[in-house]
Amino acid sequence: MATAAGVACEAEIVRITVDGLEYRLHAGPSLLAALDQIGVLMGEVDIPHYCWHAKLSSDGSCRLCQVEIDGQTGLQTACNTPVRDGMIVHTRSEAVVRARQTVLEFLMLNHPLDCPVCDQAGECKLQDYAWRYGAPNSRSREPRRKLEKRIDLGPGVVLDRERCILCRRCVRFCREIPRTGELAVFGRGDRSVIGLFPGVQLDNAYSMNVVDLCPVGALTSRDFRCKARAWQLESVEGVCGGCARGCNIWLDVAKGEVQRYRPRRNDAVNDTWMCDAGRLSYAEIARSDRLDKAWIRNQESVLEPVSVASAISEAARMLAGLVAEKGAGVIAGIASPHATNEDLFAFKRLLDEIGTENSGLAVPHGEADELLICAEKAANATGARAIGFEDARSLLERIRGGGVDGIVILGHDILTAGYLDDETLLGKIDSVILIDTHQSSLMRVAQVVLPARHLAEKAGTLTNCDRRVQRVRPALAADSELLTEGEIVHRLALALGLNGFEAGYDLPRVSRSLAAAVPPFAGITIESLPSDGAQLVSDGGEKGAVR
Amino acid sequence: MVISKAIRDQIEAENANYPRARGGLLAALHRVQREYGAITPEHATALAPIFDMTAVEVLAVVSFYDMLSSQPAGRHQVRVCTNLSCSLAGAREFLREIENHLGITRGETSADGRITLGHEACLGACANAPMMRVDDRYYEDLDTESARQVLDALD
Ligand code: SF4
Ligand code: SF4
Ligand code: FES
Repeated sequence: MATAAGVACEAEIVRITVDGLEYRLHAGPSLLAALDQIGVLMGEVDIPHYCWHAKLSSDGSCRLCQVEIDGQTGLQTACNTPVRDGMIVHTRSEAVVRARQTVLEFLMLNHPLDCPVCDQAGECKLQDYAWRYGAPNSRSREPRRKLEKRIDLGPGVVLDRERCILCRRCVRFCREIPRTGELAVFGRGDRSVIGLFPGVQLDNAYSMNVVDLCPVGALTSRDFRCKARAWQLESVEGVCGGCARGCNIWLDVAKGEVQRYRPRRNDAVNDTWMCDAGRLSYAEIARSDRLDKAWIRNQESVLEPVSVASAISEAARMLAGLVAEKGAGVIAGIASPHATNEDLFAFKRLLDEIGTENSGLAVPHGEADELLICAEKAANATGARAIGFEDARSLLERIRGGGVDGIVILGHDILTAGYLDDETLLGKIDSVILIDTHQSSLMRVAQVVLPARHLAEKAGTLTNCDRRVQRVRPALAADSELLTEGEIVHRLALALGLNGFEAGYDLPRVSRSLAAAVPPFAGITIESLPSDGAQLVSDGGEKGAVR
Repeated sequence: MVISKAIRDQIEAENANYPRARGGLLAALHRVQREYGAITPEHATALAPIFDMTAVEVLAVVSFYDMLSSQPAGRHQVRVCTNLSCSLAGAREFLREIENHLGITRGETSADGRITLGHEACLGACANAPMMRVDDRYYEDLDTESARQVLDALD
């Protein structure tokens, strides 16, 4: 994404010294922004800050980022002092240490210190910085101010005014990113509070980002409040599957469940943001309509539960029978834009080896905006097209004409506007084999139903709307009866005795074959993919079929 | 229209004198308050586009200044200065006596809608404390009796 910092490309390169170490960076932006651009801020260079944020305008209000610069009287705020060639900066001098202590002491004067019941505890910058840079004891004898502890700002966000340190990140976010500007600081001095216009709510498609931005526990997520303590959470890198943007996320896991999604910074995709709908979509992982076992339709035409292995054998038996009787041309496959590149590649090979060209892809569509939200409501439609799946509408025509007797369907995206209103058409097909994460009305016409892993339960790669390939890792351990779509179709191929499927599903091997077989994926393998992703090789090679 | 066309025209004409769109905001807020007794959320919504601001920003500015109010107020604004020099000259006791006289405390409006009472700092009349401002007029060198006379004469 284009960001304010993006102008730096043409800026001249300067040298500065911070605590005796030399850095080469872009002139122009503030010291904090320039250090952030080269990736050393809060790593090698320790300049604590509250109000400054890499993706927002600078405010200069918290005063915590003060540093000493040779030749300048007094301390300077690093968040709005532009970088100049030859600058010599000290971040650990006595004056700086004292200034930080003073700033923190002022911030603590009115802070309620309700850490034991505060959701932010454990990931709170006030705790962290007070511990690292603050004075050990409070000298204040004054009562702390008493303010509202629970204001519902909107559907997703709750405000505790006592905990607010008035960094104004939330205010600037609303003005600058979704440009909805709901929040403002009301009052003055120690009576300042964050507030809304009367009758207005903090309710925009990105509102919950203020929870991540807020350095303290003043803004909390209504969804996550009191669900888990920060130190119980294990964070796993992943990608949101809500739309084609593929926002980078952390999946925070505790007690064997994903407790929340949080945006993970990727300047090439989502900066530091994600939409509220995507953030809350973690709930689908453990939803009650998850498919967790395999089913086969029995003599009485009723679905009965079976093991995954027998469901796969039954599917293979049906497909083999049809091919033997009528030829491979009566078999078809519908790909899911939710599946990974590897799953889809395995599926494409299955269809190719069976010898059918009947395949299609159904992509659910919805609203898009100018920030992140894409119209394609699935994470990997671009990948599916690059692997060779074309729009399913022509396949549906063929089915209407009666040319298909057996079909393998990944997901239930075919039941979406523009494709099918309901499952009736598919009911005409003799053998419907459904592989899906969640239940749907397709089960009414399926002979075999196989449960698949959710994105949170598997490894693989996804290709976003800008043709960026990104990696997901399993955040949850899945039960042994729950396989990826890739592994299910691989086992189906083995049961059918097809060529080129070696015993044992090996994801890195599938990924390497994908890179070798599909030109846009050349050089991109799951093992070599950096955590911020890589671009598909060529643009527009979407129809490139498997070689 | 929450702000009459005449007032709006005046505000826009005056704002044209400022280099930045939001430059004339304070002058406009004073004008609206004088005219309507308060700057309500509806006034803020009407003003915001003139200054290229959002309504919540306008209201936040109102909340910053003691002399501006978003609460509907009485016909007359009475403000006693309680800054340091006035307080040394007895302004706080003076304010309490006025509160007793009017039967309201600072921040409140009398039941007949006549007077909204408040305190302010600093009105720059330190030499003649205690003092109070009634709308745009200063009354200085006051005692309880002279203040009562002024207040009772208000319509
Ligand atoms: S609510 Fe949080 S983000 Fe907003 S000003 Fe207060 S501390 Fe900063
Ligand atoms: S914009 Fe799309 S990918 Fe990003 S969080 Fe929202 S739904 Fe998920
Ligand atoms: S980060 Fe510089 S003043 Fe807040």
